[in-house]
Amino acid sequence: MENKNPISPHIQVYEWHISSLVSISHRITGVINILFITLICFWVGSLFFGETVYELVQKILLSSFGKFLIISIIWSFSFQILSEIRHLFWDMGYGFDLKVSKITGLIVILGSFLITILVYLLGKHII
Amino acid sequence: MINVTKKWLFLKISSVILIPLMLWFIINLVSIYDKNYLEVVLFFTTQPSKFLFSFLVIFAFFYSALNISEIFEDYLHNEKIKNVANKILFLSAIVIPILTIIMLLFLKV
Repeated sequence: MENKNPISPHIQVYEWHISSLVSISHRITGVINILFITLICFWVGSLFFGETVYELVQKILLSSFGKFLIISIIWSFSFQILSEIRHLFWDMGYGFDLKVSKITGLIVILGSFLITILVYLLGKHII
Repeated sequence: MINVTKKWLFLKISSVILIPLMLWFIINLVSIYDKNYLEVVLFFTTQPSKFLFSFLVIFAFFYSALNISEIFEDYLHNEKIKNVANKILFLSAIVIPILTIIMLLFLKV
């Protein structure tokens, strides 16, 4: 007889909660951030190879895709910063209460978007 | 101290160092990504940017290598594949920062 039980752990059998969403996003952004850092290293490397190579890279950065990439880097870094602070508080023994955990999870999600906007405005000297 | 505890401690120390460095970098990234060659070179060749960026690259790769090796531990069940993946990961985490810092050191306005 065929065993139809799900193999554990199987992400789609769980009901989504803020904590699980932040947890999986923390891991995903952790992997994405290292790809972003590698791209940034290539960008710095393009400076080493001279103005011609840099201008080729800059063409990509100035396109719509480039701007999307920059905003994605800011959001992904912001998310990781807030989520890591949340983890550090957990490590010190704070924030384990279910209600507090939901609130801090929400702060991480909403705060990452808020920091992205603030960083962009600060970087562009608008504020 | 057992190895797993050491790994956890290294993860936590590097994350505390990375938080301000990441914030510093994203603010500066927005202000320089669309600037011309000379302005960007000037940013990366003057202090404290040169020092802070080098530290960011070192700690970001160190932290990520430890973090991603945890993901390999959780999701890769074949020991051979896991060993190869970890070796590639740790090699990249050493080679990319070293090459970037060498290029940064030889960068001149």
